[in-house]
Amino acid sequence: MKRIILPALAFWVVLVFNNCIGDDILDDAVPESVMITNPIDTIGQGDAYQFEARFLNNVGIEENRPVKWTSSAPSLLSIDQNGLANGLTKGVAVITAEVALTGKPSVTDVIQVVIADNTSTNPNDNTRAGKLKATSSYTLTGDFTLEKQGSDLILTLAGNYKASSSLPGLYVYLSNNPNSIANALEIGPVTVFDGAHAYTIGGNIGLNDYAHLLYYCKPFNVKVGEGVFD
Amino acid sequence: MRYIHSLIMFSLVLLPQLLLAGGGWPQPKHGGYFKLAEWWIISDQHYTDSGHIDPNVTTGIFNTTLYAEYGFTNRFTGILNIPLFSRTYHNNLISGTTGEVLAPGSALNSVGDADLGLKYGLIVNKPVVLSATLFLGLPLGEDNGGIAGSLQTGDGEFNQMLQLDLGTSFRLGKLNAYANLYGGFNNRSNGYSDELRFGIEGGATFGKDRITAIARLFGVKSLKNGDPDKAANSTSIFANNSEFLSFSPEVAYRLTDRWGVSAGIGTAFSGRIIFANPSYTVGVFVQL
Repeated sequence: MKRIILPALAFWVVLVFNNCIGDDILDDAVPESVMITNPIDTIGQGDAYQFEARFLNNVGIEENRPVKWTSSAPSLLSIDQNGLANGLTKGVAVITAEVALTGKPSVTDVIQVVIADNTSTNPNDNTRAGKLKATSSYTLTGDFTLEKQGSDLILTLAGNYKASSSLPGLYVYLSNNPNSIANALEIGPVTVFDGAHAYTIGGNIGLNDYAHLLYYCKPFNVKVGEGVFD
Repeated sequence: MRYIHSLIMFSLVLLPQLLLAGGGWPQPKHGGYFKLAEWWIISDQHYTDSGHIDPNVTTGIFNTTLYAEYGFTNRFTGILNIPLFSRTYHNNLISGTTGEVLAPGSALNSVGDADLGLKYGLIVNKPVVLSATLFLGLPLGEDNGGIAGSLQTGDGEFNQMLQLDLGTSFRLGKLNAYANLYGGFNNRSNGYSDELRFGIEGGATFGKDRITAIARLFGVKSLKNGDPDKAANSTSIFANNSEFLSFSPEVAYRLTDRWGVSAGIGTAFSGRIIFANPSYTVGVFVQL
């Protein structure tokens, strides 16, 4: 039976040992963006306020790029190229942070600021809210909030939250790229699949440091759904 | 996902070999059937819990399996199905934008989970034969391998399955043909859900009795009575609560009176928590 065994053995060797680990390509491109990370509602007349902005590249990773700051009403609210604003006269102005891109239109972020007697922030500014939506065939739905409490962030899922328990290794992340968990902040494995619950995120993470809440199946390396902030 | 794997493994690996060998017919005393086969699946998509198909990182499983039946008496047949070498792997995940490795792939090589069975012919030497088989699933494989612990060559549980096979042979025109109907209850341990397994197989021999064409339908229904925490612990075909209905044709060619080769493919009409790509098998068999 050599005429059977030898070819079969050769076939087996080729089949088994040629099965090396290959590459799967993930389309992880996202539009570049700039975000004012410490917005404020009201600047007092005669007060100064230091704005900060963050630029994210085409895979959602922060890069240090020059930011051009402008005010729609410099006579009411001036701002220099370091983002330092001064309230001059009562009124309303729009602050724009702009980053130039090579061969593409620049990206901008704008906020409206009131110039009044005193500098103040909206109490709601320490909270962000959003809704989960499935991007796969698995169930994922519900409302959530992300709140800054001291040095912690508290991620709270509302009572209408539901997620499929059939997935292996479902994890939740904060990320700046909705297509990838590379450079994302892993909050932890999902252990509650129905109803209200919360995660405490330490490490003094900024409320606006991340743009997306991701639910991701680690073993499958696929996104299950995402939370879009309002 | 553990459900998925045990189901696929049994249906697409063990059952095809089992039924090619005997079905409702036990081996004659000192008779035997031995098959060395390679079975593989490379999957980049799976059936979700809602029955839809979603993508997943490409996962390959390759099993080099020895399947053996031996007749202790004219009614008792011993069965062994053991993946002597089982290899499974995940691909690397590469950024399409930067070319960087976002998640490295990994691989696992080991012996796979084995099945030990004893078949008893309840009705033999009749136009319609009936046999009962007790299978013991031995967790010889690895259930927690790879970088993320998500690669498996076994499910890590000891299961027991009782199966009944009802078979008959007949003439189909000038061809010798047979049909086999079977069903079984698979009692699983370690938090896994029990399963009902069922199928029908038909085959016909032609080409001077050298070629046998086989078609089989096979289904698995989970009773979903396992530990809920076991519902999400794996990506492989060893997942919990898997269900599917598959079609797996196979062709066997006898080179001599004793030796032959076979090749088959397995596809699923529908499924839940199981890979959605076809599997393939080729093998060499000898009949005593």
